[in-house]
Amino acid sequence: MTDRTPPQGGTTDPAWDLLPAYALDAVDDLERRTVERLLAVDADARRALGQYREVAAALVPDVEPPVGLRDAVLDRLDATPAADRDPGARRTRRRWTVVGIAAAAVVAIAIPTGVAVHEAGERSRLEEQSRTVAAMLADPQATLVTGTISTGGEASVLVSGGRALFTGSGMPSAGQGKDYQLWRSSDGKTMLSVGIVHASADGSAAVLFDAPDDTVFAVTVEPAGGSKQPTSQPVVALTTSSAVSGSRA
Amino acid sequence: MTDAYPPVVQETVRVPTARTTDPEALAAALVACASGDRRAFERVYDGLAPAVYGAAVGVLRDRDHAAEVTQEVMVEVWQTAARFDAARGSARTWVVTLAHRRAVDRVRSEQSRRARDQRDLERNVAAADRDVVAEHVEQLFEAAAVRDCMGTLTDTQRDAVVRAYYGGRTYREVADDVGAALPTVKSRIRDGLLRLRDCLGVTA
Repeated sequence: MTDRTPPQGGTTDPAWDLLPAYALDAVDDLERRTVERLLAVDADARRALGQYREVAAALVPDVEPPVGLRDAVLDRLDATPAADRDPGARRTRRRWTVVGIAAAAVVAIAIPTGVAVHEAGERSRLEEQSRTVAAMLADPQATLVTGTISTGGEASVLVSGGRALFTGSGMPSAGQGKDYQLWRSSDGKTMLSVGIVHASADGSAAVLFDAPDDTVFAVTVEPAGGSKQPTSQPVVALTTSSAVSGSRA
Repeated sequence: MTDAYPPVVQETVRVPTARTTDPEALAAALVACASGDRRAFERVYDGLAPAVYGAAVGVLRDRDHAAEVTQEVMVEVWQTAARFDAARGSARTWVVTLAHRRAVDRVRSEQSRRARDQRDLERNVAAADRDVVAEHVEQLFEAAAVRDCMGTLTDTQRDAVVRAYYGGRTYREVADDVGAALPTVKSRIRDGLLRLRDCLGVTA
């Protein structure tokens, strides 16, 4: 067979380098998205991932599940249609009990603009993200904060269960040689980079990421590729209401 | 392929369902699930729930949590069977991928919940937890298909793969845990997986 995995010395595309860790679910959310962009367009990457996953599955032993579980699962099927029988009807069947920007956030995550989502793994990954976002939206403790971006457009952050979803809409281009960079902070002083925010052609962006105890989220315009620390004033800064220290037991 | 039960005779007395482990039969059963075939799902459950449970128990190290994840994953398998593509990999790999991801998500959200609630305590607990991962995983590998191939890895490759896959850790966290550089850990994971692939003869 042809060896389609990257050469031992690594490749120029960082997403290729992340494939093995991705296959083990050992990447963060931003890296996940980076890899998924690669998978969406590169059949060789999909084949390589298939191999890595086959290996990963071989790491797993069969362990007999509890006896009662089979009946419990079969009972649940009675209440659960095989939703994918008609893939075209799938999204409309979802009952997102959400409104406004939150609904837009789900759509932004579920259907990245301009990305051809043909690959099964990519689709299921996106569904997984949708589920994560749906769970976040369903969380009564979730916090949603919105704000206006000073250079144009709207931004929001939804925080729930140690995760955060940043969404932007109507974002103008960051400018020649510039990128939007997202930051998080637990104290409003130390800013940790979440990564570059890639807005699509229609100015929308969505980034799902871990935010263990962060309460401040900000976007700055940085030289292309981003900076280690913010080098300019934020174009938008969002502070979640649970920012008051000690508000969480 | 080992069957836990003797081959099916005919007739349906109260004989336990014969467990299908043949990959092609499982793939066919999974495809049939997509058109709502309940009997096909029962074959999928009997053949693949142990792999799902194995993946969940490996990551979560808690039988109750693993049972919950198994239930969620098997329902997901029923709902999303249409997305399975036999040309891209085996049915077992497909369900294990779903199960592992869900288990890791659970570990991470639990970690961040605990981190938020009691950060310092958590740090100590997490460190202690990781020390027992390797031992726990050794036992699992004894039963896994990969058993005879683990010896082809260097100690550091094996350690990185195990921490990443069964520790629910990102490779960055693995690098932190073992005090190695990020590119080093990435290489260990990749080279470890490639050696396993060659040893296992994976060509899909």
